[in-house]
Amino acid sequence: MRRLNRRFAMVLPALALALGVAVAAHGQQAERAPRKDLVLKGDAKCTRCHDETEEYPVLAIGKTKHGTVADARTPTCTSCHGESEIHVSKPADAKERPKPERVFSTKSATTPEAQNQACLTCHQGGKRIHWQSSMHASRDTTCVACHQVHAAHDRVRDKLTQPDVCFTCHKDQRAQINRPSRHPIREGKVACSDCHNPHGTIGPAMMVRDTVTDTCYTCHMEKRGPFVRNHPPVQENCAICHNPHGTTNANLLRQRPPYLCQECHEPTSHRGTIPGNVLGSGVGTNRAVIMARGCVNCHTNIHGSNNPALTNERAFRR
Amino acid sequence: MNLHTRYAVPLTAMAAAVLSAFGPAPARAADDEITALTKPQSELSLGGGFVFEDNQRFGRYTGLRDRGLYGILDFNLVKRDDANGTWLRFFGRNVGFDDRELRLDIERQGNWRFFVDFSQTPNFIPYTVTTRLLGIGTPNQTINGSPAFASYDDLKTRRDTWTVGAGTNLPAGFDLQVRYRNEKKEGSRPWGQGVFGTINFLAEPIDYDTDQLEAILGYTGERLQLQGGYYGTSFKNSNLALNVTGGVAGLSPMALPPGNESWQAFLGGGYNFTPTTRGNFKVSYAHQTQTEGFIVSSPTGRANLGGDVDTTLAQLGVASRPMPKLTLNADLRYVDRKDKTPIAQYIPPPTVAAPGTYDGTNEPRSLEQWFGKLEASYQLPMAFRVIGAIDYQQVERNVYAVRSVSIRDKTEETSYRAELRRSFAEQLTGALAYIYSQRDGSSFLFNQLYGTPPPTLTPGSNNIAPLHLADRDRDRLRFSLNWTPLDPLSVQFFADVAKDSYDTRSTGLGLHDGKFQNYSIDAAYAFSPDWQVSAWYSYNTTTAEQSTCQAAAAAGGVCPATAANPIWQANLRNTSNAVGFGLRGKPSSRIEIGADLQYQEIVDKYEQSPLAPTTSTVAFAVPDINTKLTTIKLWGKYALEKNSGIRVDYIYDRFKTDDWTWTTWVYSDGTTVSQDPRQTVNFLGVSYYYRFQ
Repeated sequence: MRRLNRRFAMVLPALALALGVAVAAHGQQAERAPRKDLVLKGDAKCTRCHDETEEYPVLAIGKTKHGTVADARTPTCTSCHGESEIHVSKPADAKERPKPERVFSTKSATTPEAQNQACLTCHQGGKRIHWQSSMHASRDTTCVACHQVHAAHDRVRDKLTQPDVCFTCHKDQRAQINRPSRHPIREGKVACSDCHNPHGTIGPAMMVRDTVTDTCYTCHMEKRGPFVRNHPPVQENCAICHNPHGTTNANLLRQRPPYLCQECHEPTSHRGTIPGNVLGSGVGTNRAVIMARGCVNCHTNIHGSNNPALTNERAFRR
Repeated sequence: MNLHTRYAVPLTAMAAAVLSAFGPAPARAADDEITALTKPQSELSLGGGFVFEDNQRFGRYTGLRDRGLYGILDFNLVKRDDANGTWLRFFGRNVGFDDRELRLDIERQGNWRFFVDFSQTPNFIPYTVTTRLLGIGTPNQTINGSPAFASYDDLKTRRDTWTVGAGTNLPAGFDLQVRYRNEKKEGSRPWGQGVFGTINFLAEPIDYDTDQLEAILGYTGERLQLQGGYYGTSFKNSNLALNVTGGVAGLSPMALPPGNESWQAFLGGGYNFTPTTRGNFKVSYAHQTQTEGFIVSSPTGRANLGGDVDTTLAQLGVASRPMPKLTLNADLRYVDRKDKTPIAQYIPPPTVAAPGTYDGTNEPRSLEQWFGKLEASYQLPMAFRVIGAIDYQQVERNVYAVRSVSIRDKTEETSYRAELRRSFAEQLTGALAYIYSQRDGSSFLFNQLYGTPPPTLTPGSNNIAPLHLADRDRDRLRFSLNWTPLDPLSVQFFADVAKDSYDTRSTGLGLHDGKFQNYSIDAAYAFSPDWQVSAWYSYNTTTAEQSTCQAAAAAGGVCPATAANPIWQANLRNTSNAVGFGLRGKPSSRIEIGADLQYQEIVDKYEQSPLAPTTSTVAFAVPDINTKLTTIKLWGKYALEKNSGIRVDYIYDRFKTDDWTWTTWVYSDGTTVSQDPRQTVNFLGVSYYYRFQ
């Protein structure tokens, strides 16, 4: 028994070593065989060098819609970046490896149009029909300036993180959304794309609907009317009175009443009242126009009133 | 010990042999790693958060207003069947808070898609109301109806929004998308009722139902893309009137927003004439009605307004690069909003009679607008691009003979833009743009505020050019710079300044000057892939200088310009200084940390002064309002395993103000409204996260 054990002790390592050598040799043969694609069709050409450890990790694209190979429309690496043959097989006389045919970056030699065209080849329809005429396109904004194509979580498509992407350029709004009177943008309940379509629309400021008012009405339809008594700015443009990105005045008003109202209204009757006595007392007109709700203390139906009562003048008080 | 010695060499050799033999062992690990890197991942977070102080502002939109413990539940469950490309996603955020979001999304990519989305958004009024008003939350309220004052610190509205959508790809490049959204908004918000000398507090009861349905048939071809569809909306309000007992005589019932409906049919598209020339268009027709029954009978005999608005829209655009370096962009848009609501004599004589500000009829508002743009850009050497553009806007409004505000029926605004831009370069990009805009229009119409047409015509007040109608010259300068001097360092600078000059007409009254200045500087530095910091500073200021007079005469609108009723001016200035700081770090393979700090100081100044006479004795002082906002967010993650760990969040939020808006205000009914001028809130959250595939 002891002798048998000693024999096995000698033979087993030898067998294992032989097996190991054999498999290793097979492995070398396998290395010579074509590499397997990791995510996309034909990506072995790229993933033999590009993986998740380099500056621009690529493999997470597999977690995205662009990595869903069962969808016949799913692109390959080269359908976006070009065949890039001289990038793959660096010429012997080149000191540095030439860049791929299309590189998606602001530092790229690839023009913004060429970068965007790679995306538009598949994504020109739907919400991007008007891209070429948009302000973003004419300002050389590229798709990848906002979108992280290779990332599992594209920050601009998440309502909570989207504003930070927009604030990369829109600095004024970054400060405005923190003001005391604001939309719940910080909380991720309202996103920039709820009002704006950054891919281009026919509306002003790339509004999602055709006009500013129609865009606001999607959430504030009670202001739409028409009413028996209409307040004309309401039909024309909500932004005449409101700054939707945030202000220090209640209800996102651009200016505090009565100053805002006095920018249109004639000084007859009480409309030219000098506001004051704010630390005093009473409900006198000079206090009533600026304190509490200001002019709308009385003109409470300021967006319009549908009250047909005989005694209801045009002043939106009931 | 002997045994160990005896087998040491053979076992080591065996291990080496097995290791070399079973190459697949590390290969399997590699496969697992590839799977982890390339297949969708799900995440679940569960824990609790504690709000240490009651507050009015911090939890306004989240419900985190009361001191206490709140549940943390977030998840993003994602599953993809790689064989057929079917995705199943179930997403939840802030499920334990009042601003919860849930979404279920099922999709066979490239074939069909279905989703259901629920979103809840509270809006707590950030004030405490102390009142004797009875009936808050209902459409029947009694001023001073309660024997004793009660405090309400939970006036709020809440939106519950359900969205259901489906889409499918059809043969030959067509696709169909349908989306239906229902939003229920309920609650109460501060409202009021008043006349000179009596102003009472009310709470507007809100019970809205808003439906939106959109169906879009799209076509995507190589050169032609189209989208046509239907967009229908409906707004319903369960409360059409607020009946007030004990308030100002003659003001009850008060109208609440009436229900209204609309539908729109539209067709838009784009066509690539050549690889460098694309045209796009949109046409639409919308019909909107408002036929909600009147809350009281009308002398017109009408049961409802019969609101009827038709809007026609047409747009045509072209973007072209006729030469490699030249890009042209042209766009023309026409919007015609025709308010066809029947005009009726809602207030007949003698209740309404000259002189007056109103002839007793309703005033439908129609707008006809033209927008045009022509832009050319030319590529220069060294990646520079020069851009020139003209923008044009024309608005025509219907007008009425009797009015209380000055009006012109047509305004035109033309903007000229010149820009030099460098968008793509290794180290330095930026843009410098100058825009000059000029707005004018037809003559301001003679205001028949007082009197009737000739021969007894007496001019009414017609002094002020409304801000959106006034002649205006605007000079605007925009500058941006992106500098990357080193790979890990980037610096951005933005400036946007504008000066508006308004024509105050012959009276010199109204808004005459406006200005805004926005400056920002941002810097980001990456010490390593694991450590980054960023910081920014923004300065924003807007000013408006305007004047008016007190107690102008109705006939002729002449300002008394007396010591008691002077012509006066207000210089209004809003200035904000804001700084931000961010840190992201990974001190070890198990630990990630982050910090975000924002601090903002806002000052609102209301500088009032007499213009004529300058010696007026009226009290002009209105104190500044200073607001300071501080938010510090710290978070850290500790990985217990590769796919699980603990996350800790800490938030410090401070709001400080000397806003006097409500401080000395007491409604005629005794109601007061207050806010805590210093609100400091600490929040600590601890959650366990788990990721899986």
